[in-house]
Parts: sequence; C-alpha cells; structure tokens
Amino acid sequence: MGRATSKDAQALIHSLRSAYAATPSSLKIIDLYVGFAVFSAIIQVVYMAIVGSFPFNSFLSGVLSCIGTAVLAVCLRIQVNKENKEFKDLPSEHAFADFVLCNLVLHLVIMNFLG
Amino acid sequence: MARSNFSVLTILSVILLLPVFSLSFSPDSPSDRRLLVLFDYLSLKSSHSIFFNSLKSRGFDLDFKLADDPKLALQRYGQYLYDGLILFSPSIERFGGALDLAAVLDFVDSGHDLIIAADSSASDLIKSVATECGVDFDEDPSALVIDHRSYAVVGTEGDHTLIAADDFIESDVLLGENKIEAPVLFKGIAHSLNAANNLVLKVLSASPAAYSANPSSKLSSPPSLTGSSISLVSVVQARNNARIMITGSLDLFSNRFFRSSVQKAGSPKKYDKSGNEQFVAELSKWVFHERGHLKAVNLRHNKAGETNEPAMYRIKDDLDFSVEIYEWSGKSWEPYVANDVQVQFYMMSPYVLKTLSNDKKGLYHTSFKVPDVYGVFQFKVEYNRLGYTSLLLSKQIPVRPFKHNEYERFITAAFPYYGASFTMMAGFFIFSFVYLYHK
Repeated sequence: MGRATSKDAQALIHSLRSAYAATPSSLKIIDLYVGFAVFSAIIQVVYMAIVGSFPFNSFLSGVLSCIGTAVLAVCLRIQVNKENKEFKDLPSEHAFADFVLCNLVLHLVIMNFLG
Repeated sequence: MARSNFSVLTILSVILLLPVFSLSFSPDSPSDRRLLVLFDYLSLKSSHSIFFNSLKSRGFDLDFKLADDPKLALQRYGQYLYDGLILFSPSIERFGGALDLAAVLDFVDSGHDLIIAADSSASDLIKSVATECGVDFDEDPSALVIDHRSYAVVGTEGDHTLIAADDFIESDVLLGENKIEAPVLFKGIAHSLNAANNLVLKVLSASPAAYSANPSSKLSSPPSLTGSSISLVSVVQARNNARIMITGSLDLFSNRFFRSSVQKAGSPKKYDKSGNEQFVAELSKWVFHERGHLKAVNLRHNKAGETNEPAMYRIKDDLDFSVEIYEWSGKSWEPYVANDVQVQFYMMSPYVLKTLSNDKKGLYHTSFKVPDVYGVFQFKVEYNRLGYTSLLLSKQIPVRPFKHNEYERFITAAFPYYGASFTMMAGFFIFSFVYLYHK
C-alpha cells in the first residue's frame, strides 16, 4: 500500500528469481527452448520489415515454424509440470510422445509451404 | 433456230470474258484507271488538251461528258463505273442524270478521288461540294484573288488578278522530287481551309499581300479573306485514303497557262515556261495514287529464336516483330524506306514504343522484351505522314504471368526463412535428446 519504491521492485524481482531457481531443470530446458524459438521468430520479422515481404509464403513458413515450435514446447511444459493439477494423471512420456508427433506434422507442413 | 444459237453463244462469251472486263482499281494496283471528266461546255476539251493528253499518256481512260448530260451516272447496279472524277464545270447549277451532291460525296466516301476546279462563275453546287470536303470558297460571287505584289507581269497594266504564286508546300511526295522553279499562274477565286478540319492541306498558298475582292469596284469594307490564309490549291486526304484536289482557277489547267512565260512583279527573272504543267502533273500523280500510296503486309511476331507465331506470350519473354511496307510507284510495289516507323506494345497505353529498323528492301523489324505486366496487349503500327496514306495495323496477343513452376527454385531473399525452418528442425532434434537424457 502507499508508495511503490524501487526497494519493492527489487524485492519482487528477487522473489521471482528465487522461485524460478526452484523449478526442476527439465522445465528450465523447455523454457530455454521456447526462448530460442521466439528469438528466432523476432529476427525473421525484423528481416521482413527491412527487406519486404517477397516471397510471402516463405516468410509465413519460417515464422510459423518458430511460433509453432514455441507453442508445442509450451504445451509440453504445461503437461509435464508436476505442480499442475489438471494433468496429474497424464504420464510425462505420453506428453512427450504427443509433442514429438505434433512436431513431425508441423515440420511436414513447413517444408511444403516453404516453396 | 439460228437466232437462239446465236444468243446462247453471246451469253457464253460474255460470261467467259467477264473476268477480263474487271481490270480496274483493285488493292493490288491502286492507281486509278477510269476517270470521268465533266465540263460546262465542250470547248474545254481542246483548251485543256495538254493536261488531258498527259493523263492519257500515263494510262488513264478518260470519259468526257457535259455536266448536264442526262445520261450521267457514277455507278450502275451498285458498282462504280469510274475510279476518279474531275469536275471542270464551275458554273453548273444541277448535274444531269443520276449525279448530285450526295452522289459525289458517296463517291468520295467509298475511297475514290476527285479534282474540283472552280472559277469566278462558280455555282452554289460546286461551292457546297468543296465545303463538304473541308474548304470554303469566298461567298462573294464577283470576288477574285488580287495581289498587288505577286502578280504576273503582262504587257498592259492589268488589274493584278493574274497571280504568279510560288509559295508551295514542302513535300516531295506531293509535288515530286524536282523543285518547281517557275511560279505557277493562277487566276480565279479564293478559298480558305476550314480550321476544324485537320485532313486538308494548303499546297499553294497566296502571298501575304493577297486579298479576295471584286477587281472592278472600290473596296467598301476590308476583305474577309486576306493574306496567306487564302489557299490557291488545296488537297484533302480522307481517312479512307481518298484524295481530293480543290482549286479556284480552272485556267490553272489550261493550255494557255501551260505555255505562257511568266515573270513575277518585282523580280527581274523571266521564265520561258510557267510552272503550271509540272505542278499539275506532279499533283495529279499524287491525287490518282501514283505516288505516296503505302501498303503494309506480313505483320509477324515470334519469340526470339523461333519462327512460328505463338498464341500467347509470357511476361519477360524476348520477342521479334517485323512488318513489310511497300509504296506504289505507279506500276509496281517498291520497298518503302523510312526511319520513323514505330511499333507500340499497347494495353490502354503503350508499354513499349520502338522505332523499327529497315533493311532497305521494305522489311521493318525490331526486338524487345515483353514488359512485366500481364493482360491482353496489341501490336500497333500507326503511321500518318503528310502526303502518304495512313497505316493502321494492330494485332492482339495475350500475355500470361509465370506458371508456378517457372519461378527460380530457391529465392535468395528467402534464405533466412529457409535457415530458420531448418534450424527449428535441428533445435527440436537436439532438444528432445537433451530433455530425455539430462540428469
């Protein structure tokens, strides 16, 4: 209540960092993977803004592969996370198998649309 | 029995000889052959005999008739009997027979040629024929062209209605290659060109000091037609390539003017022979299509390196275009040589405009790249030059865009996207190993 000081912001960040450090390392690997995919998508968008949108289908294909990878990885993280009540009964191998199959379909579509 | 055999024989012979009788004006031989000459009175035949004999020696068939002959007809059963009409009948009020103003205008509209000569006795009929052709004669019936600076010097001091004119149009195709040295003698009425008409040309115009007025009475008001706007001889080339020559002096064609010597007032040079004969001969060659008649054949286009004409081009194709243009020389088709014939590749506006190069034998060709726009284009050759028949050729051709397999296989601009997709695949592969086997 009252004034928001920099000490509060610092305390917030500190608590976030310590909570994050407690997550299992498998989830951290997934987070790294998502970050890599999103970073790649941003690079492509900046490139398109500079050079122009020809050929548009290749641009869409490249961006979609990055975003699709990120989305599938996020889904995997949701299903594998032990603290998630919703997926308590889902074996993590099942989730990983779904993840692999969906990625195969995604890359098949990307290769076709790439032109 | 004998009589019916005889009639059968005549019918058979007429049918067999019919093709022979149709040797006349045709697209393969565009010079006129048969001319109808109309007079007011028959003495004109002898007083203008040099002109008529020169026409006959060039191969024309002349048919002399009085203008009020009741058997006059230009066409019979829908076919025209003559290829050209010479009206040397300025004072005729009504033509005889089947001829009238509408018939004369139909004659010209169907592509035939016309020479009209008026003089001071010109009737309303002749003046209205001229007006329909784009030329307005002076309305005052007693007015003649008077020029106190460029008159022809005669023995006694005349009233300066006999003019020595040398202000010719600059055109080799109209007046021939040889320059007309001596001035042309003219005595008659003035006409001016209709300003709205862009097909009519002044071949011989009056000097800036000329005016049109009655020579025997004092001028009460400034004359309406003055100076160089007075035309002495004009020609019209209609859009269907019919050619008309109009002049206000019947004496221009007469033997007397052909033979007389001429000296222009104010210049010491005296010519033994006026320029009338050369001027009239050269201009009548142009009027009767012995010169300046072009035809264009064989408009062809093909892809560079092939010989057949495709039904469709693709954008950014290379193509060759060629056309052959010939000029009628009076007896045969000669190659036409010029360096300003252009072709347009046109769809609503010309995307490509190229000047054709010729090989001096009548073949004009060029090559260019189809533009980066698809649609239905036309090859257009539009050629309008002073004195020549107009050429309007066009050929339609569609142009299609690239088929989906005619693009480059790998587009350089898309390499980052290719790279990103493959990187994602590799990343997925590595990630799944790391995820499964990390400790």
